[in-house]
Amino acid sequence: MSGGRIRDRAFTVLGYLGGFALLFLVWHVAATWLARSALFPPPGPVLERAVVLVEDGLLQEAVLASLRRIGQGFLIGSAVGIPVGLAIGSFGPVRAVLEPWTEFFRFIPAVAMITVSVIWFGIGEESKVFLIAYTTVFVVIIATAAGVGAVARDKIRAAQCLGASRLQVFALVVLPATLPLMLTGMRLAMANAFVTIVAAELVASNDGLGKMLWDARLFMQVEDIFVALVTLGLLGFSVDRAFRLAIQAFAGRYNPTM
Amino acid sequence: MSLVVLDKVGKTFRGRTGAWEAVRGFSLDLAEGEFVCLLGTSGCGKTTVLNMVAGFEAPSAGRILLDGAPVRGPGAERGVVFQGHDSLYDWLSALDNIAFGLRLRGLGRRQRRERAAHFLGMVGLGGQGAKHPAELSGGMKQRIQIARALAADPRILLMDEPFGALDAMTRAALQAELTRIWADTQKTVLFITHDIEEAVALSTRVAVMTRGPGGTLKAVVPVDLPFPRDRTSDGFMAAFRQVHALIHAEILA
Repeated sequence: MSGGRIRDRAFTVLGYLGGFALLFLVWHVAATWLARSALFPPPGPVLERAVVLVEDGLLQEAVLASLRRIGQGFLIGSAVGIPVGLAIGSFGPVRAVLEPWTEFFRFIPAVAMITVSVIWFGIGEESKVFLIAYTTVFVVIIATAAGVGAVARDKIRAAQCLGASRLQVFALVVLPATLPLMLTGMRLAMANAFVTIVAAELVASNDGLGKMLWDARLFMQVEDIFVALVTLGLLGFSVDRAFRLAIQAFAGRYNPTM
Repeated sequence: MSLVVLDKVGKTFRGRTGAWEAVRGFSLDLAEGEFVCLLGTSGCGKTTVLNMVAGFEAPSAGRILLDGAPVRGPGAERGVVFQGHDSLYDWLSALDNIAFGLRLRGLGRRQRRERAAHFLGMVGLGGQGAKHPAELSGGMKQRIQIARALAADPRILLMDEPFGALDAMTRAALQAELTRIWADTQKTVLFITHDIEEAVALSTRVAVMTRGPGGTLKAVVPVDLPFPRDRTSDGFMAAFRQVHALIHAEILA
């Protein structure tokens, strides 16, 4: 890595730290000076409450429960979405048949599927994992299919006139060329998964961050609500950064926009 | 026997706005070791001719033979250097781009790296093999394309305005390099251009096309001058004037 890139990284990290500091400062000012209400606690008490919840092991438990569901559903959704997306992008007839599916289900949000999911799978793990997989799969399909469609014609032609078979064109050109958009689709799907998991756990769950939010509302533990909200934000932020780094590692060297 | 024969080749595209003739009755023979420039105005169908020889498009009329056998689809015996640099593989290093055709053939890793390094040196990029396309200038990318096509050892090199997007100085440098590479490798080359000076500087024959749509071969001008060519010599000027007169008539027509 060159000196310039180290400096860029350092600037980015400093920017993040500054941005978060400003966020907490605005929160503090808004809570202490503007709202002045027990219903809107400033960062200090929320942090104290978070420490207590961590010491009791409750916060970790909730985070792990939610992340496990997200991880499982996301993997299933991606494992189905990638091959289906590749097939839609590569074969016209497959696209013709499956596009109505993706265009139909895309407009039924996972949140609307919660009721069906609970009826089918009960309030156990399956219903949550199903919902995450559901919210993941269509985004990944659409992004992957678009990625296949966006492969430059000359890339394929160049391989053909170097003697590539159809299988070689697919494995050595289409697949690697599609990877950046595939990963971008997974990144968007991951953001959806965070939205969906909270909604699902709000409705039916024994643990997880959504359940924590729900319980805190029942017992009017306002600090707990804020601990859960901040945790969600930080988790989402970290996972998204990790994805961006992965995309950069795979694809960033030839796409400066990512 | 001619290496490539184009015999009354025509191409008609069918689109939403109806049928549209790109090339009509085009006949030309290429002998082994020749450097033929196909020169024509924008839209005359010269790229379509190259695409048909490459096998990317099938002719609607006439036939194209390579070593006496009809061309069917693209193949490794016809290497192509494309106009832009979309055709390079961004996720591979320069060296791995050059080695791509060798990899397809199942050549071992060490062998193909050795061979790719040879061609990397030939195009004047020795030691830069680890760079990725995004780290290379436009001229360097075209050098990689040339090396990639040559590494697969094709019978003929098809070049579609490969230097069209480069600045004048880079273009002149690459033209000189191409002349040297052509002399070293003895490859047959079909080179598409709309630049008269480029055509006269590089080729043993300049094939001039009529304007489009439905362009065809207008005349073939042999350029019997020694390489490397002195662009200010009387012989060069005379050839330039001859080709210029042919093209100019098409522009004004």
